[in-house]
Amino acid sequence: MTPINISLLVFMIGLYGVMSKNNLIKKIMGLTIMNGGIVLFFISIGYREAGLAPILEKGTIDGTTTIVVDPLPQALMLTAIVIGISVTALALALIVKIYSKYKTLDIQQLSKER
Amino acid sequence: MSIHIPILIIISPLLAAFLVLLSRKYKIILATASIITSIVFVSTLSSRILSGDKVIYHLGGWRGPLGISLVVDGLSFFFSLIVLGLGLLVIIYSIPERRYGRTYYFLLLVSLSSMIGVIYTTDIFNMYIFYELLSLAVYLLIAYPKTGVTLRASFNYLIMGGVGLSFFLLGVGFLYAMTGTLDMFHIAGRLSAAFDSSMQMVIMSFALIATGMGIKIAVFPLHGWLPDAHSMAPSPVSALLSGITVKIGIYCLIRVIYTVFSAEIFLLINSHNILMVLGVVSLLFGASMALVQKDLKRLLAYSTINQLGIVLIGLGIGTELGLTGALFHVLNHAIMKSTLFFCASIMISEAGTREIQGLSGFGRQQPAITFAFIVASLGMIGIPPINGFASKWLICLAAVEAGYTFLVVIILTASAIAAAYYFRVIQVLFGGSLKQGPMPAHEGEQVINRDNLFRSWPIYILAAGCLLLGLLPTLGISLVKPAVSLLLFHVVP
Repeated sequence: MTPINISLLVFMIGLYGVMSKNNLIKKIMGLTIMNGGIVLFFISIGYREAGLAPILEKGTIDGTTTIVVDPLPQALMLTAIVIGISVTALALALIVKIYSKYKTLDIQQLSKER
Repeated sequence: MSIHIPILIIISPLLAAFLVLLSRKYKIILATASIITSIVFVSTLSSRILSGDKVIYHLGGWRGPLGISLVVDGLSFFFSLIVLGLGLLVIIYSIPERRYGRTYYFLLLVSLSSMIGVIYTTDIFNMYIFYELLSLAVYLLIAYPKTGVTLRASFNYLIMGGVGLSFFLLGVGFLYAMTGTLDMFHIAGRLSAAFDSSMQMVIMSFALIATGMGIKIAVFPLHGWLPDAHSMAPSPVSALLSGITVKIGIYCLIRVIYTVFSAEIFLLINSHNILMVLGVVSLLFGASMALVQKDLKRLLAYSTINQLGIVLIGLGIGTELGLTGALFHVLNHAIMKSTLFFCASIMISEAGTREIQGLSGFGRQQPAITFAFIVASLGMIGIPPINGFASKWLICLAAVEAGYTFLVVIILTASAIAAAYYFRVIQVLFGGSLKQGPMPAHEGEQVINRDNLFRSWPIYILAAGCLLLGLLPTLGISLVKPAVSLLLFHVVP
């Protein structure tokens, strides 16, 4: 199991949650897990075995090469996490409103309501 | 100043969005002025773009794969013109309704500015960010009336849209893993080498991105959110969603297919056939579902699925004629569908019901609005002097030329079904006298003055646009030409 496979597995678990659960909160949890899978995926793309933080210090340029991890996916994922949180927050706000209107969070019962 | 124009087009509505939140009095003037400013900026670029040039702007002066660039070429110019033109009309159309407060205009401006962001950016992760921003604003706009149905529709769209964009982001991850860059033009340069070594990963990333965008443009098996979201939203927002927002998905699909996965890879993995099949299926599905709808706005929403099917068929054919037809149909559908939604809003608030049967007699009361509705629906069906005919004709011609004659049969069948459902509405409009029913809960509290200037003029302008593009289709085709030659030959015409 490489990290990439595990992250795809997490993504799939999240997708399963979104598709099969009836509770709205559980659907949002699925979405968050999907997001987590993507974060893991990007981080494992940038990972290098025994890599250091890519910081260039004074006096380290001496012809030898050091292995560093790719910082770009990590920077991207900071943005993606923030976006994921705002989507989750919006979804939870909608859920609060839906619950106060219908007194249920079950999607089967909600679809019966008019 | 003049080199900063691409970023100013995005900044102007975004800045106005936050200013709108601060001012109670001037919100409408600010919103309109910022969109007009953007339109002026775009039109200063028009002569350069239409002659085949392109404008590239490096954000912060960082070039190439390091920084994010904005590019205005034939394709992005065409789409940004649709977004800004219709966005202005949507804002004007929402003016008479008093219940739209500051947050409404804020969200509208944020969504418009992020749409232009999606269109102009060359960085594929940046595209994702703008798309997510756009989606957040749109979810809130759908839920704006805060009634039960709109909340549910918005939540459904949020779940589907969230999954779609997650797929897109995962696809971007695969692209980054293969090429080590996020700039679309640089990915394109390195992808053919990656295709030789790891074909599965290229196909995987294409499948993920296409699925993600497929959810956003509501291709048949992934369309579940669209009918609710488009029909339950407040009417100006319905026009925005149906006219513009789904087109952004089409834009991303075109950009990704033709710029990132160059046309050769696209042909190699046979995805044009997939697009064509999806187009045919959603064409027939949308048409037949629209036929059985009783709710006017729901009918229009299913008709959107139908028309987007035609666009996908045009993209799937992929020849010069097919692409011209598809892009031209994008423009035509944007104009026609916003006309229809604007008209439907007036009809619903006059009749007090969303049921088609309840609209009988509207045609005698307001002949001008009804005329606009008939013009746009004839365009949807594809009857000659209206613009919808020109683009459908181009796509049919392309299908015959490329040897897919059965597609013509399918498009004509769908047009016949479209005729059935639009004529049903038109027939009802000229039926017995109009009964003033009770207002549906989510359509607003007060009846808006029926001959309000801001209500009727956007409709007349759009209907005139339908007729103009129908009578002089070369006008629209000349707008599409730079985009098509850019996509097919990567060169200026």
